[in-house]
Amino acid sequence: MESLFEQSSLFLQQLVNGITLGGVYALIAVGYTMVYGVIQLINFAHGEIYMLGAFLAYTMVTVLGLPFFAAFALTLVICAVFGILLDLIAYRPLRNAPRLAALITAIGMSIFLQNLALMIWGSQIKSYPREVLPPVFSKAAWTFGEVSLSWLQVFILSVTVVFMILLHLIIHKTRIGTAMRAVSQDKTTSALMGIGVNRVISFTFAIGSAMGGMAGILVGLYYNAIFPTMGYIAGIKAFAAAVLGGIGSVPGAMLGGGVLGIAEVIGAGYISSEYRDGISYAVMIAVILFKPSGLIGRQIGEKV
Amino acid sequence: MPRPQEVNRSQVLIIGLVLLALMLPWLPFGASTNYILRVLTTAVLYMILALGLNIVPGFTGLLDLGYVGFYGIGAYTSGLLAIHYDLSLWVILPLAALNGALWGILLGAPTLRLTGDYFAIVTFGFSELVVLVLRNELWLTRGPMGLPGISPPSIFGHPLTRDWEFFYLIVFLLAVVFVVVRRMEDSRLGRAWFAIREDEIAAQCCGVNLIRYKVTAFAISASIGAMGGAFYAKWFKFIHPDMFKFWESILILCLIVFGGMGSIWGTMLGALILIPLTEILRAVLPQSLFSARYLIYGLILVLMMRWRPEGLIPFESAQAEKAKQTQKRLTGLVGKE
Repeated sequence: MESLFEQSSLFLQQLVNGITLGGVYALIAVGYTMVYGVIQLINFAHGEIYMLGAFLAYTMVTVLGLPFFAAFALTLVICAVFGILLDLIAYRPLRNAPRLAALITAIGMSIFLQNLALMIWGSQIKSYPREVLPPVFSKAAWTFGEVSLSWLQVFILSVTVVFMILLHLIIHKTRIGTAMRAVSQDKTTSALMGIGVNRVISFTFAIGSAMGGMAGILVGLYYNAIFPTMGYIAGIKAFAAAVLGGIGSVPGAMLGGGVLGIAEVIGAGYISSEYRDGISYAVMIAVILFKPSGLIGRQIGEKV
Repeated sequence: MPRPQEVNRSQVLIIGLVLLALMLPWLPFGASTNYILRVLTTAVLYMILALGLNIVPGFTGLLDLGYVGFYGIGAYTSGLLAIHYDLSLWVILPLAALNGALWGILLGAPTLRLTGDYFAIVTFGFSELVVLVLRNELWLTRGPMGLPGISPPSIFGHPLTRDWEFFYLIVFLLAVVFVVVRRMEDSRLGRAWFAIREDEIAAQCCGVNLIRYKVTAFAISASIGAMGGAFYAKWFKFIHPDMFKFWESILILCLIVFGGMGSIWGTMLGALILIPLTEILRAVLPQSLFSARYLIYGLILVLMMRWRPEGLIPFESAQAEKAKQTQKRLTGLVGKE
């Protein structure tokens, strides 16, 4: 009886950790899925924006000595601007080029940014100094037997939920959101209806990148480790989440992130911790093979 | 009628290059001869790898990000066969190529139905899974301890040890791969691939079986990659899972993008320029900066796609040349009538 209780509380703890992780994946996945929705491009460099978010906030709190929440907000803004610039410099000139060219550019940008970060910040793992963070983060918010939920987890989950709701409102209740949905359906017709397609694409990059940068800070806090290659694995996992939910669909990205986060933590705990990263790849490959439209995505037919 | 002077020009080029390669070990470079030979052996190995990868994005127009997975499979096939069964290189090379092709078919058959973007991601996932398996299946691969003590290859009972012997061997392998790829380019197979690259739907309408030709391309590409890996294991005599990470795929992709995607001469030139350049960087830059060398490769990918997507030696011009010749021949015929 005792061991059963211990087991179930371990399981609950894993579930809590999984949901936290899933929320962060969902934040990154939203960036992939929105960009894919409007320009049908897998923005490989998105994972690097997530990494830059973590490093920018780190630099602001350590070198510039800004308070944590100011750095947090400022990082969001810088990442948004960065996303717009990325599109402007790298992707916009290739809008009418073959898809292979845009895809190769995206990979090139990802590699470039990753190594730029390596040159600037070095390959050593860094962590946010404890004294600059709000002290409440490391305290437990809620404990039940063996299961505990830290204030940091509460912070991550609530930030995720708040921004997801905000995003939903932007997409469905504002003019620019309506324009985004129109552009994702048909760019040419949207342009004919008077929508500034490039402006909408820039806006999409800005939102996606801000969420990605925010996810970078949250993961940096959660694992207490930031390093230049962090965007590479997280980017692929978030892409897996986007595919799982159905690429192009924002609620799908949220659902996919949650499912993947839980699957990863539970899988690492009960199946094999060596293959922790492999679980995401396997889930992604399986979904692409057997249900490419994802859990709640729409079927994308190829146009002749 | 074949035009003798045209044929001669490319033949002269090939013969000249082969002679140059054969003479190279005996040129008076003094003490640095062995170093130069090792760098060039690496460059030629990457020329083979680039020729293999080129078949998928270059000829068929699909982005393959998992090429290094097949390279790793080939290297471990070769290393394990050499250690456990002590087979000769001439048995190992075909077996490794076969194993690569097998995995190529296993991965390609279900995934090549997907659109290009998804295919790129799935191949990426595959190469990551290969590294994870190499790292974690200790009973087979010894994991992060690597596979040391791979016996050197031997020819007629004479084991290869010196740098020029390996250089000759890899030049010979390159010649074989070059002839195979060159012949495929001008065959029914190659024409079907180009048709798929230019327009999948049009190709399908003309009766090209998309899946069959794509899987063939993928399997052949994989077997060339695996063969390169098999040579690498026998040459370096030590292999480690970290040698087959995603970065290598990017490097090889960069070679063909730089040289000219789809162009055989271009991909070889790309490898011949960039690989020695990497070695120069390794010698010149401090370790911390050298580890960020992929910055340059990433930049090359972006800049080439923006300003010169056809690469140094464009594929198109070769095609256009051919079309012009055909045109000339046809108008000549019309003139005679």
